[in-house]
Amino acid sequence: MDQSVAIQETLMQGEYCVIAVQGVLCEGDSRQSRLLGLVRHRLEHGGQEHALFLYTHRRMAITGDDVTLDQIVPVSRDFTLEEVSSDGELYILGSDVTIQLDTVELSLTFQLPFGSHTRMFLQEVARACPGFDPATPDPEFQWLSGYQCLQREPDSRTLHGWNLARDTWPGYTTIGGGGSNFDNSRSNGKSLLGDQSSGGQDKAENSLTRQNKSKSEITDLVRSSTITVSDKAHILSMQKFGLRDTIVKSHLVQKEDDYTYIQNFRFFVGTYNVNGQSPKECLRPWLSHGIQAPDVYCVGFQELDLSKEAFFFHDTPKEEEWFKAVSESLHPDAKYAKVKLIRMVGIMLLLYVKQEHAAYISEVETETVGTGIMGRMGNKGGVAIRFQLHNTSICIVNSHLAAHTEEYERRNQDYKDICSRMQFCQVDPSLPALTISKHDVILWLGDLNYRIEDLDVEKVKKLVEEKDFQTLYAYDQLKIQVAAKTVFDGYTEGELTFQPTYKYDTGSDDWDTSEKCRAPAWCDRILWKGKNIIQLSYQSHMALKTSDHKPVSSEFDIGVKVINDELYRKTLEEIVRSLDKMENANIPSVSLSKREFCFQNVKYMQLQVDSFTIHNGQVPCQFEFINKPDEQSFCKQWLSANPSKGFLLPDSNAKIELELFVNKTTATKLNSGEDKIEDILVLHLDRGKDYFLSVTGNYLPSCFGSPIHTLCYMRQPIVDLPLETISELTLMPMQTEDDGSQLESPMEIPKELWMMVDYLYRNAIQQEDLFQQPGLRSEFEHIRDCLDTGMIDNLSASNHSVAEALLLFLESLPEPVICYRAYHSCLECTGNYTASKQVISTLPTFHKNVFNYLMAFLQELLKNSTKNHLDGNILASIFGSLLLRNPAGHEKLEMTDKKKAQEFIHQFLCNTL
Amino acid sequence: MATAPYNYSYIFKYIIIGDMGVGKSCLLHQFTEKKFMADCPHTIGVEFGTRIIEVSGQKIKLQIWDTAGQERFRAVTRSYYRGAAGALMVYDITRRSTYNHLSSWLTDARNLTNPNTVIILIGNKADLDAQRDVTYEEAKQFAEENGLLFLEASAKTGENVEDAFLEAAKKIYQNIQDGSLDLNAAESGVQHKPSAPQGGRLTSEPQPQREGCGC
Repeated sequence: MDQSVAIQETLMQGEYCVIAVQGVLCEGDSRQSRLLGLVRHRLEHGGQEHALFLYTHRRMAITGDDVTLDQIVPVSRDFTLEEVSSDGELYILGSDVTIQLDTVELSLTFQLPFGSHTRMFLQEVARACPGFDPATPDPEFQWLSGYQCLQREPDSRTLHGWNLARDTWPGYTTIGGGGSNFDNSRSNGKSLLGDQSSGGQDKAENSLTRQNKSKSEITDLVRSSTITVSDKAHILSMQKFGLRDTIVKSHLVQKEDDYTYIQNFRFFVGTYNVNGQSPKECLRPWLSHGIQAPDVYCVGFQELDLSKEAFFFHDTPKEEEWFKAVSESLHPDAKYAKVKLIRMVGIMLLLYVKQEHAAYISEVETETVGTGIMGRMGNKGGVAIRFQLHNTSICIVNSHLAAHTEEYERRNQDYKDICSRMQFCQVDPSLPALTISKHDVILWLGDLNYRIEDLDVEKVKKLVEEKDFQTLYAYDQLKIQVAAKTVFDGYTEGELTFQPTYKYDTGSDDWDTSEKCRAPAWCDRILWKGKNIIQLSYQSHMALKTSDHKPVSSEFDIGVKVINDELYRKTLEEIVRSLDKMENANIPSVSLSKREFCFQNVKYMQLQVDSFTIHNGQVPCQFEFINKPDEQSFCKQWLSANPSKGFLLPDSNAKIELELFVNKTTATKLNSGEDKIEDILVLHLDRGKDYFLSVTGNYLPSCFGSPIHTLCYMRQPIVDLPLETISELTLMPMQTEDDGSQLESPMEIPKELWMMVDYLYRNAIQQEDLFQQPGLRSEFEHIRDCLDTGMIDNLSASNHSVAEALLLFLESLPEPVICYRAYHSCLECTGNYTASKQVISTLPTFHKNVFNYLMAFLQELLKNSTKNHLDGNILASIFGSLLLRNPAGHEKLEMTDKKKAQEFIHQFLCNTL
Repeated sequence: MATAPYNYSYIFKYIIIGDMGVGKSCLLHQFTEKKFMADCPHTIGVEFGTRIIEVSGQKIKLQIWDTAGQERFRAVTRSYYRGAAGALMVYDITRRSTYNHLSSWLTDARNLTNPNTVIILIGNKADLDAQRDVTYEEAKQFAEENGLLFLEASAKTGENVEDAFLEAAKKIYQNIQDGSLDLNAAESGVQHKPSAPQGGRLTSEPQPQREGCGC
């Protein structure tokens, strides 16, 4: 019974009860029944919000009048509803599901009935949870303010629910008017009820379409969650709860034979059309005629109640009467537990198992299919119980098919309808609904109503009298139809060795003497389908005279797959292990064409490039160079890797270039040995390994990047000096030039500077646009090598290249010609030449020398300004920014500072030094 | 099969450290694949392996980081110690130098992990007893002095490999149970799945729905 219908009647327009379940609210020792409805509200601007409505209710809730709203729990971001499994306890199949509902405000425990409906409910609630996507706004639950909950006694456990939580919802303050809203909704409910009386059929159809819809939704869910093998490992590594279970389960099904063995269970199957009668006699001759107590009883009835009440209200006292009669007549040698009773109007099916087997029954589901009036009503049709006994799935169907001799095609159709419309929900709602045919064992019993055709009544009776059932059987419609494969295809029926079970005068063994004088027929039948089924008996029971039918029974030995616990554990372990392996195998993995990179003889401002290829394995992966701890970048400043990150498809390649370039920022430390051409890069694969790449090499120290005083002490070319000496001289403090302790007396200015200036003085004094035309890169490298090797005589380069080399040299000085500490005083005394000269005189000797030397050279250039078109302003602006550098860095250089630096230099160009 | 008994409820992060060539990767491979990798190349970087184990009925996913042992990578591999719940410190019983370096590895492990990180000392290559260069007793004493778990194992034969990983996990789990390891600490190295049963919330008696039918 779908109780969401009752809840729906209490809701306002625009709200929809997605699914409802009846459960037990556990608070301490108290157990109270609650109806839990998941209610959806569509927001005007799109999107939706959910809340769990908890109702108290009377009996099985049918209409809105049967339920009273108790609490509302909004499905907010902090809402969780989880199944609680008892720790350390063995899980008992078929027991209630305990769930824990938690939000910030409250914590409730419920017990929900075991079965697929509860599964679906939990699944729907899980889907309703808003998740943690920061992109979606927090649910506001404004719509909840329209509902009013049951007033709780003041001393009640106010910690729970809506009473507290509502304070946090906007709109609650207007709840004073909410009462009337509530009334509106109630009156809505009433009018709905009014409609119902006139259009009950409509309503039935509505609920029917809803049912269908939810089924198609389930199918969609299945399609969308299809997992392909190659995806599997990814999903595994995503650590998403539950998916791993699904995979393990499907593997367990595949490997079933490894851990199960076949054990026979004795099944009793009985069918009895009781013609609307109440039990008047003991049923033992039918139910307990065997010596051995059956393990399982499947007992079906038809025409349990022929009254209109039973038909219209689905309610009949006969159910209890017959249930009791059966329960009392089960085999006395065993104790039985009722597993399930399912009834549709007069068609009832009862399932019992021996108590010791109860723990091995699981996944019990029932369904009914009406094929009666309008093809839908329950006066004809079938009911079924499906369950799992140990590891074998079993479906028992009890059907009452269409009557009348000539209606055999209608009976065939009823059978087909039952087969196609009988769909059982699965424990895992993501799986498609089960049909009857999807079971290992199917037992089909009932008043199938097939008659004996083409023989007149007397002939039939005569054959029965002669016990010539074989001849008679040839005229049996069921036999003929099965042979024609129009019905019960693949089913087996035992040989009929008993006389037709229909139709007798009630209370006797006499054939029907009524007006209609119906021909005897084997209406009541038992068929089966599946492996490992042996029929032990198939008979009717003439002793029972309550009905115009005789009951029929059949006993079977059915081989059921029983789990060997040890083998099961072993198989499970193997599966889990294989998943682990798969997960490991699917950790992204690449191969690198090269992991060691050696850059030989790296020179100042000379690019060196090396490359390697990343070849991806079978898992798509993302790679990225990552920073080592406490470092700002993934590699040293003189190195770069391109691209530094990327995505690789399976079996594809990426080429990474490593570029090494030493500039003024990194040269000095390489000269001094404080830094080396050595680095380790970490190439990281997302969800995978890290690879270390080693970069090694050697740097050839250069005058570029060396301090002025260091160069002054280098009487030899820098390449001829041992690295230790270079390192020592580079690290030498600036103010040691005059202490006379040096072994070799220093030069006044760096020889490399002299070489360049001298070259320009000799070759370029009249060169047009000197310092303004760019040089050539190749010539720069040549000039650098000449300077560093001292082979100045070999120097042949364009004037512009040498001029640029000079500027680069000045730029690469770690301490500018006018030392950083003098920077601000220089700017301050700009315009005052005497003061400016005073500042210059405070510079360290070598810096002072270099400054004066450069100014003298520039003045010489200006003397030739008619030829070279240079003027003081141009030179002052070029050299101003090189000689006077802001200690705070270039970025902070303001225009006024730049102008002042220019003016400062300009003074020295137009005045005598 | 209504519940989900196959999933893990904890994730422990492990690191494997020790000199180059002591068999760190082979131990990992033996543990995850149950196979000996004969020609295992030197690990230049950090590799991963995972496996789900069971401790006291709890499924635990081990996430194992196998680091490069070469000295020149030491500075980089140190960054992988953070947030490890367990450390397997490996030496080679046939090479004394790898044993001598343990104190340096231990210093790193102590400095770079949290105080609750469980460290297990593993003397690998126990199958090569004839070439033994470090006695069991000596290593045992070292382990005791430093409060380490200790086992001799062989990645080749598989001897004690399983135990090495399990012993550490048991100790970590015990630390969780007695509260000395705070799961909420950022660097505990343990992740707990919130959806797993917390235990003890309900005394749920098994309640079969079916009522018995006395006949």
